[in-house]
Amino acid sequence: MTRLSGGLVDRSRSLSFTFDGRRYSGHPGDTLASALLANGVRLMGRSFKYHRPRGPISAGSEEPNALVELRDGARQEPNTRATVAELYDGLRARSQNRVGSLRFDLMAVNDRLSPFFAAGFYYKTFMWPRAFWEKLYEPAIRRAAGLGRLSMQPDPDEYDKGFLHCDLLVIGAGAAGLAAALTAARAGVRVILADEDFRLGGRLLAETHPLDGAPAPEWVAGVEAELASLPNLRIMRRTTVFGAFDHGVHGAVERLADHLPQPQGGPRQVLWRITARRTILAAGATERHIPFANNDRPGIMLAGAMRAYANRWAVSPAERVAVFTNNDDGHRTALDLAAKGVGIAGVIDSRADAVAVGDYPLFAGAVIGDTRGRLGLTRIEVRQHGRSQWLDCGALGVAGGWNPNLHLASHHRGRPVWSDALHAFVPGKDGPAGLIAAGAAEGRGSTAQALRSGAEAARRALAELDVNAPLPDLPQAEDQAQNLHPLWHVPGKGRAWVDFQNDVTVKDIALAHQENMRPVEHLKRWTTLGMATDQGKTANVTALAVMSELTGKPIAQTGTTIFRPPYTPVSLSVLGGGDSGAHFRPRRLTPTHAWAQSQGAVFVEVGPWMRAQYFPRAGETHWRQTVDREVLATRKGVGICDVTTLGKVDVQGADAGAFLDRLYCNAMASLRVGMTRYGLMLREDGVAWDDGTCARLAADHYVVTTTTAQAGPVYRHMEFARQCLWPELDVQLISTTDAWAQLSVAGPNARRLLERIVDGFDLSNEAFPFMACAGLTVCGGLRARLFRISFSGELAYEIAVPARYGDALMARLVEAGADLGATPYGTEALGVLRIEKGHAAGNELNGQTSAQMLGMGRMVSAKKDGIGAVMSRREGMLAETRVLVGLQPVDPAQPVVPGSHLFRQGDAQDTWTDQGWISSACHSPHLGHAIGLGFLENGAARMGEVIVAANPLQGQSVPLRVVSPHFIDPEGGRLRD
Amino acid sequence: MTDLTPITALGAATPADQRFGALRITENAGLALASLALRRGAAQPAPLGLALPGPGRWAEGQGIAAFWTGPGQWMVEAPGRAAEDFAAVLAAGMPGCSVTDQTDGWAAFEIVSDRGEAPIRALLERLANIDPDGFGPGSATRTLAHHMGVFLIRRAPDRLAVLGMRSMAGSLWHALAATLRRQGAAAAPDDGFPIV
Repeated sequence: MTRLSGGLVDRSRSLSFTFDGRRYSGHPGDTLASALLANGVRLMGRSFKYHRPRGPISAGSEEPNALVELRDGARQEPNTRATVAELYDGLRARSQNRVGSLRFDLMAVNDRLSPFFAAGFYYKTFMWPRAFWEKLYEPAIRRAAGLGRLSMQPDPDEYDKGFLHCDLLVIGAGAAGLAAALTAARAGVRVILADEDFRLGGRLLAETHPLDGAPAPEWVAGVEAELASLPNLRIMRRTTVFGAFDHGVHGAVERLADHLPQPQGGPRQVLWRITARRTILAAGATERHIPFANNDRPGIMLAGAMRAYANRWAVSPAERVAVFTNNDDGHRTALDLAAKGVGIAGVIDSRADAVAVGDYPLFAGAVIGDTRGRLGLTRIEVRQHGRSQWLDCGALGVAGGWNPNLHLASHHRGRPVWSDALHAFVPGKDGPAGLIAAGAAEGRGSTAQALRSGAEAARRALAELDVNAPLPDLPQAEDQAQNLHPLWHVPGKGRAWVDFQNDVTVKDIALAHQENMRPVEHLKRWTTLGMATDQGKTANVTALAVMSELTGKPIAQTGTTIFRPPYTPVSLSVLGGGDSGAHFRPRRLTPTHAWAQSQGAVFVEVGPWMRAQYFPRAGETHWRQTVDREVLATRKGVGICDVTTLGKVDVQGADAGAFLDRLYCNAMASLRVGMTRYGLMLREDGVAWDDGTCARLAADHYVVTTTTAQAGPVYRHMEFARQCLWPELDVQLISTTDAWAQLSVAGPNARRLLERIVDGFDLSNEAFPFMACAGLTVCGGLRARLFRISFSGELAYEIAVPARYGDALMARLVEAGADLGATPYGTEALGVLRIEKGHAAGNELNGQTSAQMLGMGRMVSAKKDGIGAVMSRREGMLAETRVLVGLQPVDPAQPVVPGSHLFRQGDAQDTWTDQGWISSACHSPHLGHAIGLGFLENGAARMGEVIVAANPLQGQSVPLRVVSPHFIDPEGGRLRD
Repeated sequence: MTDLTPITALGAATPADQRFGALRITENAGLALASLALRRGAAQPAPLGLALPGPGRWAEGQGIAAFWTGPGQWMVEAPGRAAEDFAAVLAAGMPGCSVTDQTDGWAAFEIVSDRGEAPIRALLERLANIDPDGFGPGSATRTLAHHMGVFLIRRAPDRLAVLGMRSMAGSLWHALAATLRRQGAAAAPDDGFPIV
């Protein structure tokens, strides 16, 4: 096949490309599909289920058939529509979903076995034996019914994201979109004009009707030049607006480099979030086909697509073509192709009163009965007045009417409305607020209608924004009615495809009807109609019409089909917006991170934080060795740990104490200045929520700490309480978590170490007792805060300095304390120290426990009210007998496994006999065996009793002795020394 | 004067400074910050003579600047005074206000264009869901950039400051650098930068 005359391809340049290894050439302006057709290639793929030979049926993004694997190596992209893949020099494409060659696909045997693959076949066929499902059936089906293959390599390209704002977003740059954009841009408002194509003009590029007597592309070029000159309008080519979301937000993908062999240093695609005050949906319409027997052979395509290939790309799929239509629009295809010298075998028009509008054979009141041609169409059977004849032709254009592209109008669950006049669904009135459909997307598809509708829609949208936009002078354009007489399918014995991509036929829909899968939602799931990459753009309405025939109900009562984003497939890479790998989400680093790295620390993710987990030394081969050493060094000398990640909130104001009294279950207003108190917060329902310390720096100034995990939620909760619950209180809050580096200095030598860095501050027990706090200076004048608090049970302090000095202070403490055994420790040792001491942490404050269960029931003050206090005294809460206990194995060699459930010895181990669970466990280097904390029924009264910890997942059942949760220094003498 | 040596938010001895085409990002390690909140019934003060700005605004005075962060709340900036206890200095002259040191709570990155405002507008487009037309000089807002809470301050037509949590400085720097690098590498947009 050679090129026809005319067209919008640049014949002065040739582009070389390969398909399935064979070399071809095309021109700039071509798509892969148009270039292949120009080279006489109609066969481009195999169908999903039956592996039937397939060629393109469309010339746009609705394409269900011509899916290829584009590019090589890591850039290999499956399921790329050849109809929108822009040709570039060196393009390499392969057909997919075949075993063997495209011409001789071994899986085509499925077509012979089609009686076994009817709708719902896998629900019925592959049931037994059950063991075969995962190992045999599923892999075999997946291999047979695959689409393209993934490269299985990381995406080498970069992606980006961005945000745009405008008064009017115009989606689609065809006749309606251009008229809308022109109207709005001239009014001076901010306009974004987006089109999925690489060239503006939409359907105007595919038709021959003149505008004001000149070829339409000339008018398009004039408008484009004006729009480009206006600073308030932004043209976005190769940009698909794929979804309409809340509040005028739209998702769009701009393909910056998909038309190039690879990105030229910049991102491949950009994900845009476009916020528009008003939106015009001018997405055009998709032509629908008419199912008849063997209607899926390569060469059979939509009549409008055939015309687009001829007019825009100067290509005919064959030297001799025919048209099958139920409306006047189909005749245009015959006229346009005949004008380009293509032979017209005939126009088969299902309307009895059809008349020819040109010099071609017309078969009025006729339909297509069947077709021939194994790898491409060769003959069609025309049935007319009860007679049948066969015509030779290599391509057939099918014109069944046009479906408005109303997809985005139904993204807020807007229901399309059936129009009896148009025989099509049009956008309903319950679509996204601010979105107006125009042109063919609204059902106004003649060029004159589309131009006028676009301009009027823009004027209407801007009027809502109090902007007066005069209508521009619009060119004279064709305004022909389609005179469509519905024909939804040609009844017959052979298989007639409705959904090409999912191999769903009229018979499958009849079967669904027969098996009572009649609602459209059931029809879709049962037959897979409308699924996969094209989402039924060329199938859904036709399927609905076929079902309506079967049920005898009008289409309007049969149901509608609505759409969800995305309009066309969007790659996961671009949805990531450019943040990938280690940068997929932000990381928080502690002030001593660089120092810890220099010490060879192993880090652990704690939410967004990276914390030092432990600091291995030379010769230590197992993490336990390191952690045991860090724990023992802390209990014997002094350990230092970065605890900056604990949330810190600065609380000021005359009512700061009253505010904290209401926030915590225990009293805080009574705290003396210069002292710190442990505090527990409850949820509204009385369940324990978060704990920390509260330090009173001045009468009207507190600093509270939270757990690492709840730092954000607690701060938010405090702001809610301040702003919404008690706005009458004089309280000001601000987070200072990041501002201060805070280090825990714990162990019998803690005081001696700190004495070496403080600037003449008296650390004696008398001057600075347990739970004291103060502002001071350290290391020659550096402002700092000191808190005498202990999580480890040892004599301990937390010292805070401005974050920029945290790294240096850590290094200084370790250096200055070398002779005192100063040892940095990480989160593992931190955990061991607190479990040995019996302190609750996140594992115990898990949202299922109360203050009473934690052994802190008396902390819930009865003298004042606080959030959750009343609810914590509910009957059910008070009746709870499970309390925090310590647990240790009867046989010291046995483990204590957190998550295990606790049972009486000899009891059956089930939900009814469950007595509690183990929340935390570790190896205690101090005791030399495993220990744990857990919640046990009547635990306080069962000290010494032996119970069983069951871990059915691993078949473990370990006898444990119930002990005090305070394995270390239960009297608390050490921390008060 | 302490004998401890501070490091920057990015963990280095000296502030980061890198150029990407028309834009240059500099880590503003010397910026002192203090939050200022009115106590109940307090009159709005004028710290060091600065008229505090209204919602969404940033104002600059003599050696001091401030942006609005909430009803009766501001963040006060003092360039070059991070080593001092700026919050204490500020608090001394602000009876009836709650002042909290925020200097080390934030990492500040100053972005300056040497080709006018267009590159700053283009960067805003890629960085955060902020309409550049509503974010002229003197604007400040709290928003989200690459999943991080940040303050954006339009200090001048050709200047933008980004303040993020100090602990996230590395991630924020990476996000800014990657955005600018991609932008520099990409072809110029079809229609230039829309300016209304």
